[in-house]
Amino acid sequence: MNLQYTGEEKIPAGLDTVWAFVTDAEKVGHCFPEVVDVTVQDPTHFEAVVKVGVGPVRGKFKMKVELLPASSKRRIDMKISGGGFGSAVDLTSGADLVDAGDGTTLLKWSGQAEARGPVAAVGGRVLDAQAQKLIAQAFGNVRQHLTV
Amino acid sequence: MSIQTKPLHSVGVHMKRKEDPRFIQGKGHYIDDLSFPGMLYLSLVRSTYPHAEITNIDISEAMKVPGVKAVITGKDLEAAGLGWLPTFHGFDKQMVLAIGKVLFQYQEVAAVFAETRAAAVDGAEAVQVDYAPLPVVADPFASKTDKTLLRPDRESKTNHIFHWEVGDKEGTARAMASSPKRIKQRLWFQRCHPAPLEPCGCVAYFDTMGRLQFHVTSQAPHVYRTALSLVTGIPEDKIHVMSPDLGGGFGNKVPVYPGYVCAIVGALKIGRPVKWIETRTENLTSTGFARDYHMDVEIGATADGKVTALHVATTADHGAFDAAADPSKYPAGIFGIVTGSYSFPVAHAEVDAYFTNKAPGGIAYRCSFRVTEASYAIERGMDILADELGMDAVELRKKNFIRKDQFPYPSALGFTYDSGDYHKTLDVALEKIGYTGLLKEQAEKRARGELMGIGFSTFTEVVGAGPSKHFDILGIKMFDSAEIRIHPTGAGIVRTGTKSQGQGHETTWAQIVAEELGLDPQTIMVEEGDTDTAPYGLGTYASRSTPVAGAAITMAARRIREKARKIAAHLLEVGEGDVEWIDYKFQVKGVPAKTVTMKEVAFAAYTNMAQNEPGLEATYYYDPPNMTYPNGAYVAVVDIDRETGETKVRRFVAVDDCGVVINPMIVEGQIHGGLTEGFAMAFIQEIQYDAQGNNLNTNFTDYLVPTSLETPHWETGNTVTPSPHHPMGAKGVGESPNVGSPAAFVNAVIDALSPLGVRHLDMPLTRDKVWRAIRDAEVKKKA
Repeated sequence: MNLQYTGEEKIPAGLDTVWAFVTDAEKVGHCFPEVVDVTVQDPTHFEAVVKVGVGPVRGKFKMKVELLPASSKRRIDMKISGGGFGSAVDLTSGADLVDAGDGTTLLKWSGQAEARGPVAAVGGRVLDAQAQKLIAQAFGNVRQHLTV
Repeated sequence: MSIQTKPLHSVGVHMKRKEDPRFIQGKGHYIDDLSFPGMLYLSLVRSTYPHAEITNIDISEAMKVPGVKAVITGKDLEAAGLGWLPTFHGFDKQMVLAIGKVLFQYQEVAAVFAETRAAAVDGAEAVQVDYAPLPVVADPFASKTDKTLLRPDRESKTNHIFHWEVGDKEGTARAMASSPKRIKQRLWFQRCHPAPLEPCGCVAYFDTMGRLQFHVTSQAPHVYRTALSLVTGIPEDKIHVMSPDLGGGFGNKVPVYPGYVCAIVGALKIGRPVKWIETRTENLTSTGFARDYHMDVEIGATADGKVTALHVATTADHGAFDAAADPSKYPAGIFGIVTGSYSFPVAHAEVDAYFTNKAPGGIAYRCSFRVTEASYAIERGMDILADELGMDAVELRKKNFIRKDQFPYPSALGFTYDSGDYHKTLDVALEKIGYTGLLKEQAEKRARGELMGIGFSTFTEVVGAGPSKHFDILGIKMFDSAEIRIHPTGAGIVRTGTKSQGQGHETTWAQIVAEELGLDPQTIMVEEGDTDTAPYGLGTYASRSTPVAGAAITMAARRIREKARKIAAHLLEVGEGDVEWIDYKFQVKGVPAKTVTMKEVAFAAYTNMAQNEPGLEATYYYDPPNMTYPNGAYVAVVDIDRETGETKVRRFVAVDDCGVVINPMIVEGQIHGGLTEGFAMAFIQEIQYDAQGNNLNTNFTDYLVPTSLETPHWETGNTVTPSPHHPMGAKGVGESPNVGSPAAFVNAVIDALSPLGVRHLDMPLTRDKVWRAIRDAEVKKKA
């Protein structure tokens, strides 16, 4: 099933600080909700192990993440794929960085997810809300990390 | 006059099931109870994609998991010539483990063998499979376009698997065109799953003599032995298949599944026993599903309601492989029974099957090969016709029933119905339910705006496959067999080629022997499922056990009786011609005082046989001359809550005619179980796939099995019209309630909704679907 999400975070830090953060694999990795482990392979690739619980489906997902920073330094895209216990998800997520002018930065994000396996079977009932919450939490964590 | 000495527990007697003490004490012996020294566990890696190329399989991490002994993939099997498995009717093959690409979600991709079940699952989790997704075909109508070719491995480059038809196409079209009244409706019998409580599983090992010992949850152990020999090249004498107690089967345990082949390969490769037990999710998502027939039903009739023609065109979704377990000559099973209980002068039925990216199957779920689909089609169709004609559904049925004096009845689609008295069976049901009173009550309720429905299904089944001239599986004719040995003390053992999955064969078979030989059924042991000891048979499915193996037991017992007659003559000191079998014992003709019992004869067969061959045993292979045609009249009464769409099945009467009844209690139990399954399909069950090919019903929180709380109260009754060609007159009953009941439920719901203008809804009739139909009808009315 395909799921789509959008949202916005206002981050109390300048554009360059935010850019440095969101292009740092280690730091981005630790913003994943329920993250257990992050293994950075190179500046744009890392693996994250996260705890997942959707309805009756509970366990750890191993995710492969690729960061795709735009040369404009105004947009970062992420490709995430992985899964566990017979389920899988493919996520693409992107965020535009907008200088709000008051020393803060707006992170306008969007994402879409495709789930397969038992996770997808849980479907509309809980998955949708859960996925929205997790993505929002991930960008929320970026804000928290950058809030001094 | 002699006194009737009918044994206490012979045919027609409510005898408690001999197998139940062990089941109710938790002492049944199931596959997962087996354990052998050094046994390994198998876990399968399954595809998360419904359609994708496999670009890489990395097993290195899995091999590092403590306890993992080996991992095999499709390539390994292909190299050993075991990459593909023939499906049972022989027209297609199925990948054991995916080779090159996956074709449905949860398809088997790799097999992991480990010291413990947990390590095997961890190992499977660690296998890294890289996929390149391909377009998904999740709908048979989309499959028709051939835009995405699913099976390039096949010679024919199309998703169309087969076109099958029977009947008079032109004659039907002509009769339809000239019929004053016609109805046409698409009916979808949704994809369901038999969901036996015990999933599939096996234990395989090679003994010290190099012989494959294969314990498996199989409804057809002998066919497995032959199929395994053909697929693996292991000589058939080196294969021993054993099916212990089965926790339900319902057709799901007929096919040979990839897990079985992997377990055998692992046992051979590693040299240790291997156990494979499916999870519930694996059972629901990868093993044989049932139904998934989209049927366009067209009936022609005269203005006063005499049917003139029937045409049914079906689009069948067979999933990724054509694994419908049908007899070789019947790719659409026995769908030709679609003319039902009615005297159609002409008919034409056709089925076109297509591949999709869904699990393979189309098995006979408590159904004699597509008979449930056919019965649903005609029984819904007749109600729609009644609605069109403004005629009472009962009146229309009675007007068109095949009359008692028309049997044996040659149907328009080529069957010869053996016997029946449809008018009588329906009258018993009408009497039992109190139809006249219900009609009055319904009229009053309708006047108050309340939704009450009465639904009928007066079905005819065709079971007991089957006569060798028509029926075979992989070329093996569909006879069945029995071997009976009577011991010196008059106890005995019966072995058959069938395999009980809960049907109560240990009791029923003993009762047949008791009836034929006058012995105590409590001392007649029944053994099935062991290919080393049982005579060859095609197994238990399609309601064939009593019609075929039951007949074989009867005939074998009669052979024993003929031999026993010689010994009895010796004991009675008369010529054989002077001995008759009367009142369950041998008697000198005309001298009721001079008798000898079978128990006495049995002892003599080992101790005092004179010139006769010692011993008392016989084997019989029974090739049925015809199928049997059980039938029934079912009535459902429902009340629907207008505000919530909740349907309450207030009453359900099932009157069955399965010919001579061997054990009424077991038959009643069979009917209760089958009605509960029919209720489940009608109201709550469906295996759904989303547009991306995800299976959405992967466990019992999503695929619902009714509990005693939801299940209605069943009222049963019967009529007895013996089968003229079966040696006991029995017809088989296990599947009648599953076949006959869905239409009764749906007809009742549609009858309740008919004042709102609702003509048809597809199953399952969930609350939300019914509620939406009510709401839409009300909106339409206001507009």
